[in-house]
Amino acid sequence: MGCGCDDCEMMMQPYLDGVLSEEEIREAQEHLERCPGCDKRFRFEEKLRHFVRVAADEPMPEALKVRLAGLRSGD
Amino acid sequence: MSESAPTAAETRRIAEEARDRVRFEEEALQLSDQVYRVARRLAGSREEAEDLVQDTYARAFRSWQQYQPGTNLRAWLLRILTNLNIDRGRRVQRTPEQTPLEEGDYYLYNRLESTMPDENPDEERVLERLSQNAVVESLAEVPHDFRDVLVLVDIGEFSYAEAAQILDIPVGTVMSRLHRGRRILKQQLADKAVVN
Repeated sequence: MGCGCDDCEMMMQPYLDGVLSEEEIREAQEHLERCPGCDKRFRFEEKLRHFVRVAADEPMPEALKVRLAGLRSGD
Repeated sequence: MSESAPTAAETRRIAEEARDRVRFEEEALQLSDQVYRVARRLAGSREEAEDLVQDTYARAFRSWQQYQPGTNLRAWLLRILTNLNIDRGRRVQRTPEQTPLEEGDYYLYNRLESTMPDENPDEERVLERLSQNAVVESLAEVPHDFRDVLVLVDIGEFSYAEAAQILDIPVGTVMSRLHRGRRILKQQLADKAVVN
């Protein structure tokens, strides 16, 4: 399974979260340029995060909005 | 002179307080969509989420004077909400230490790809194997301690520092729970996608 790039797999979340040092970022980027398998999995993860955020979003019911407004001190 | 007649200074103070209060309430209400978005994924059902948000606003409007103007109101509201959610007794749960070891970060991709006929599919096509329902159901199955952080950061778009403040845990704990939470979520997604 996969490309067997264990170090790169471990770096994926911190890399996408932007919490690596400059040195680590450079190492990760060098690896990604050489390894299409990891590169694809990193891109997948980015898109997955976006997909999860959109899929999990459910608009607030209008009736609740009205009830919240009714809790104000002036009402 | 009647005792109850307020002085001019007092009248001004009362008027200022009323104005501050109205402003607070308006600002809080403007954030309700964002508060609901987080509540909906923390709570088990829509009804529970609605109750949670309503109780949060009732409490926020009661204790509005405890809010320090100029600080992060969204985080302040979410702090109330997560505390209420915990008070509701949802902590009768596994602790993080008892959750099973999760798979690595490539697990979901590898599982999805293995079900596809093409040799080397585009990552967009791999992502299409997942449905919105699978995301909603999988999130609900992430244990609470991980889900709190995952929902705040990845869905509510709070920073690590804000999530730490809201949940009253160290930033390092936010990061480790977030990383493990995402892996648990991906494991759940893999199981659902492969079953479908």
